[in-house]
Amino acid sequence: MHTQDFPQLASVEAIEQGFESYGYICSRKIATAVFLAFQLRKPVLVEGPPGVGKTELAKTLAQLLDTPLIRLQCYEGLDEAKALYEWKYGKQLLYTQILKEKLGDLLQGAQSLADSVAKLHQFGDIFYSEEFLEPRPLLKAMQQEKGAVLLIDEVDKSDYEFESLLLEILSDYQISIPEIGTVKALSTPMVFLTSNNTRDISDALKRRCLHLYIPFPTVELEERIVLSRVPDVDDQLRQQLVGFVHSLRQLDLKKAPAISETIDWARSLLLLHAQHLEEEMVRSTLNVLLKYEEDIEATHAQLRTLLKDSATDNSQAP
Amino acid sequence: MQSNLVNFIQVLRSHEVRVSPAETLDAVEVATTLGYADRGLLRDGLAMTLAKTPEEEAIFMLCFDRYFQQSLADFSASAEQGSTAEEANTSPAENAAQQAQDFAATQIAALQLAAEDNPNLKSLLETPLMQSLLSNERNELTLAINQAAEQVGLQEIKMFTQKGQFTRRILDAMGEDQIRNTVIALEQAASPALPVLQRYRDTLREQVRDYVEREHLLRAEGKTRQFMDEILSKTRLNNIEHIYLHKVHELIRKMAKKLATRHSRKRKLLKRGRLDMPKTLRKGIPHDGVMFNTYWRQTRKEKPQILAVCDVSGSVAAYAKFLLLFLYSLQDILPKVRSFAFSSHLGEVSAYFDDHPVEKAIELVNWKYGGATDYGNSLLDFAKLALDDINSNTTVIILGDARNNNGDPKLEIMQNIYQRARQVIWLNPESRRAWGSGDSEMLRYQSACHFSAECNNLKQLERIVDQILKSSR
Repeated sequence: MHTQDFPQLASVEAIEQGFESYGYICSRKIATAVFLAFQLRKPVLVEGPPGVGKTELAKTLAQLLDTPLIRLQCYEGLDEAKALYEWKYGKQLLYTQILKEKLGDLLQGAQSLADSVAKLHQFGDIFYSEEFLEPRPLLKAMQQEKGAVLLIDEVDKSDYEFESLLLEILSDYQISIPEIGTVKALSTPMVFLTSNNTRDISDALKRRCLHLYIPFPTVELEERIVLSRVPDVDDQLRQQLVGFVHSLRQLDLKKAPAISETIDWARSLLLLHAQHLEEEMVRSTLNVLLKYEEDIEATHAQLRTLLKDSATDNSQAP
Repeated sequence: MQSNLVNFIQVLRSHEVRVSPAETLDAVEVATTLGYADRGLLRDGLAMTLAKTPEEEAIFMLCFDRYFQQSLADFSASAEQGSTAEEANTSPAENAAQQAQDFAATQIAALQLAAEDNPNLKSLLETPLMQSLLSNERNELTLAINQAAEQVGLQEIKMFTQKGQFTRRILDAMGEDQIRNTVIALEQAASPALPVLQRYRDTLREQVRDYVEREHLLRAEGKTRQFMDEILSKTRLNNIEHIYLHKVHELIRKMAKKLATRHSRKRKLLKRGRLDMPKTLRKGIPHDGVMFNTYWRQTRKEKPQILAVCDVSGSVAAYAKFLLLFLYSLQDILPKVRSFAFSSHLGEVSAYFDDHPVEKAIELVNWKYGGATDYGNSLLDFAKLALDDINSNTTVIILGDARNNNGDPKLEIMQNIYQRARQVIWLNPESRRAWGSGDSEMLRYQSACHFSAECNNLKQLERIVDQILKSSR
């Protein structure tokens, strides 16, 4: 990947605009991370609470660059056969059978054992060759000629061993296959790793990455996000609902509503033809925002004051 | 600028942000890519390479702001305040600036006037230090302070008590004594220029003081913390003062994490058992009986169980707290910790730890079971509650001073536990010499333990828990 190939990534501002044109409003920090990742050819480790757009970042970048998005979802027990490559056993088996049948023809004229072994050696060793190699996401990302966006999702769910597997790929963009040798990336992919912080990522992995923490957005940023994602919501309602979500985040909740929930809520309010936030409507749609019963109950009790707060906030704003 | 960046990374390191040399190189690369023009951009970019957790990022932001904002305050500002205060009415800003300039000019004039009949002052006015003070050359002055600071070794500053000392030394190195002498001379001569010169001297002193203050914050805070951690981990646990308790908690977490990573690896390796021949054959059928993949039996390993029995009577309570904190910080690799607390009677307290965060639970336990100790009675209770659950996978850890107030020690119960359990460990906060003295039953109980140890500071605690982890799997 070179700068001239991707003018979309030439500067931090260009990235911001590019993302915006695909409906992803990013903070300057995020744009800086993408810029640096591209310039320094480094993977980005994205952390943050669920639903702030970690995965979406990689998806949007793939759209922006018009390159394939290759996604590897991590889980416990993920191993190299599922992440890197696998041999096509069935075909290998067929090959050996064909070889067995042809063996007589091939070895015709061989007098001694040594002679036939020497003859066998003349054939290329294709049993372990790229022809029988089944690429899995990581290898696939290395094989893209025009570059790719590789998303290694929820890397914290995988085992420690898997992390060490990633190290070679992330620092040198190459994969060692014992039977073949090292496979170098045809062009450096943009790599994003996401983590929800269920466990600590090893230092070795962290060291190789740029570290990007995406927090909950500011009010202005979130309003812009809602505007770009749900453009039909009118200004007043948008301000109110974003204000309300922000005051919800101040509460001590099991899971605070993230951006994706705000967007869902805005969509549901739109469906219900809401003009502004009414207590009844909020009460009945609260389950879109909050995912735990105890959170919903806790919020019900304080709903009126919360609504009043977000209403007064916004009456001052315009 | 590059050496500046490296210095900054030094500062980060002293604040416990771990930065490797490779990361330093990355940071330099980032800085060259982004340029130094946009401060916010540079800060975000550096944060991405240097800080690896949200906490580190917060530290980074703090350090960045402190480090890169080292421009000195405008000297004329103080003069300006003086002049406006005298005039007692608020004038517009530009007006004030103009006035301040005039004021400075008149001051210089006054000094020069006085210098004509005072050779001391005259030579002083010609020194570069005074020149830069008079002409309000902040850059030069900053440079001079920097040089002086290097000369006296300010980067070695460790304690806040050294601040005054270093301020003095820097001032001396800058040649402030000449100003001081002149002030004394002017005082004797009752010269009108005295207050003017004094004001300049105060400004200088203030600048240096600020500078030292900032450097101390930047460099020494981290060092003091390392020093303190070192000391804390060697102090007897019940001597640690209340205000340091939260630090100890942090320390324990850190130690526990270290142990957790060390011991969780081994377990994974042990999981694979013998080759599972039937399964390997069965899975090979689609490949015409060729066994491409091998399948392994999982070794079934009973998870180790740990029973922690803690004396929470006044004399030992502090230690019990730390042991429990340690054990519960290791929850990831010690999934089955059951805890019991006793003084006169014994009860299981595991439920407290399920329902509350560890610190809170420990408080509750102390409150409920504190009192005078009766080991015999408590062992009876323990046998009733848990003896049937003790098997060859169980490690029993008992923490107590074994001072039984001359009651029946019920040694036979201890022996019973000893025979059933995989191991019995007795941790005694008293030093080995005191065991068996007075009403201590330690020597007798020791005969029914696989392992007994003195345990009264964090270092010992860490070592013992490490040993437990090694042997309990």
